[in-house]
Amino acid sequence: MDLENTKAQMRKGVLEYCILSVLSGNSCYASDIIRKLKEAEVIVVEGTLYPLLTRLKNSGLLSYRWEESQQGPPRKYYELTPEGKEYLAGLDRSWDELVESVNLIRSK
Amino acid sequence: MDKTIKINLGGSLFQIEEEAYRTLRDYLQDMDRVFRNVPGGNETIEDIESRIAEIFLSQKGTAGIISKENVEAMIQVIGRPEDFDHEGGGEKAYSHSPGPRKLFRNPDDQVIGGVCGGIGAYAETDPVWFRLLFIVFTLTFGIGFFVYLALWIALPSADTPARKREMYGSGSNRFRSQADGGSPRYQTTSRIGNVFNEVFRALAKVIFIIVRIILIILGTALVITGFMALLTFIIVFVFGYPGAFSTNIDGIDLSYIPDFLHYVVTPAAVPWIKVLITMVVCIPFLAMIYGGVRMIFWFSVRDGYIWLTALVLWVMSLAALSIIMFSEGVGFAESEKTTSTEYFSTAPDTLFIVSGRKLSDLKAENEISVPDNQYRVLIDDDRKEVYIRSRLFINSSDDNSASVNITRRSAGRNRMDAIENAERLLYDLNISGKRLTLDEFCTVPPDSKWSFDEVHITVNVPQGTVVYMDRTVESLAFPWNHHDFVSDSKNRFWMMTDDGLNYIEP
Repeated sequence: MDLENTKAQMRKGVLEYCILSVLSGNSCYASDIIRKLKEAEVIVVEGTLYPLLTRLKNSGLLSYRWEESQQGPPRKYYELTPEGKEYLAGLDRSWDELVESVNLIRSK
Repeated sequence: MDKTIKINLGGSLFQIEEEAYRTLRDYLQDMDRVFRNVPGGNETIEDIESRIAEIFLSQKGTAGIISKENVEAMIQVIGRPEDFDHEGGGEKAYSHSPGPRKLFRNPDDQVIGGVCGGIGAYAETDPVWFRLLFIVFTLTFGIGFFVYLALWIALPSADTPARKREMYGSGSNRFRSQADGGSPRYQTTSRIGNVFNEVFRALAKVIFIIVRIILIILGTALVITGFMALLTFIIVFVFGYPGAFSTNIDGIDLSYIPDFLHYVVTPAAVPWIKVLITMVVCIPFLAMIYGGVRMIFWFSVRDGYIWLTALVLWVMSLAALSIIMFSEGVGFAESEKTTSTEYFSTAPDTLFIVSGRKLSDLKAENEISVPDNQYRVLIDDDRKEVYIRSRLFINSSDDNSASVNITRRSAGRNRMDAIENAERLLYDLNISGKRLTLDEFCTVPPDSKWSFDEVHITVNVPQGTVVYMDRTVESLAFPWNHHDFVSDSKNRFWMMTDDGLNYIEP
């Protein structure tokens, strides 16, 4: 067993949940999301985020709008769709359950 | 490092060192291989590219040129595709066998029509060389221009992602572009190539402007010409009013043609002929106006079917008109004349020729005359009659007798028909003593068509005979100087000599 690999697998499992959580408060553009995820050390390289954003958007959980920026090209601002909010609420619940379960096991 | 390359990334332009460019290109190719066939993959690539642009903008190396270090730092931040898979998961890397490449016009790398861009993509060569080639061949023989035009028409534009993929071929040079047909993202052009491209572009702009100016001038001319012609046609043909326009072609007043139609062709055919003539004349004028307007305003609409309809309509009208004209024309196929002679009982010393029926007594105002032949036709619309001016010839007779020949000439379907037509002509002539009375014109009887009718009177008198003519008769004998010679409104005496009729002072 490779410890690094297992850690990566674990991060991978919660990455979508993290992205949706970042967006739960307000709309962000990709670099905002990346910064927050990096701070939390959930991701290492930025490129990981983009395919995920596209996939979440295509499955209807996210939408985006273009906004002009002072420097550089216009930016995509992502936000949760109503469907995405519902989905996130579901994930919140299952995350709490999961944490509880893990804690329960660990405390024994 | 000397050589830099200009690229367009996520909507921003960057100068990049050649080596750095190669690294970047390989990196993007990897990215492309991974995401190309994944749902939404193009969008992902797009997002990544605009992020790369953002990073480049924030790090901007020396003098704004992106170095290899910049690129590597960027890759460090964004990560390699295999890292994404490792981290984010889900996307399977696709390996791609290179597909056959096809020739298209390249809308992403286009200066005029994208022909050179397309050839460049096909040949994996900088399009600037092809542009140069076209310029050279255009300057030498003008061939380049036509070849370019032909290719422009013949080659389809690579305007869909599928076509773009075919145009660039897979897994090769990264000349690929946005899936949803946006602005070009990659143009790999060396600095020298760039200069040529700019020159080519400037040249194209100048040519465009010149062409536009020429088109506007041409279009304006077309619109004005077409409009004037149409207006003239309507005024002349529909209202029969010569107006301010000269409708005189070769001395024939065209404005009377519609009136004359009734007397020339079968009455039932007249409305058809009028409609057909209108179509045959107006369609080209309308096309001129429309074409002119299009040239001036340079808009493009799908109007192919309009042109086609107009063309078909025009050809059909012309054909129908030709058929009617032909069948009418058959009625004039043969020309025949009949001659009768009347003699004076004794040859008079002085012959008085006076006019019987005169045109000036009629209300016939509509006239068509063929000046060369002194042939004049008039119609009286109230009485529905056609009058044809007769001709008078005065010759010296061989013997000492005096006679008058009346020659009636007409056309018909065949000779018999023509003779019948000639005999129907109404013409009066009367001899009494020294006096010859003759009509100025012959008449086509009502309910009968005009068919190239004419009446020639030949008077034969011995030499030495004095001939008196009134003004009307004189104008029949000398139609050509009717207007200028006989201006004093006097009746004159003439003398028959061995070289014809001579004017004698009273």
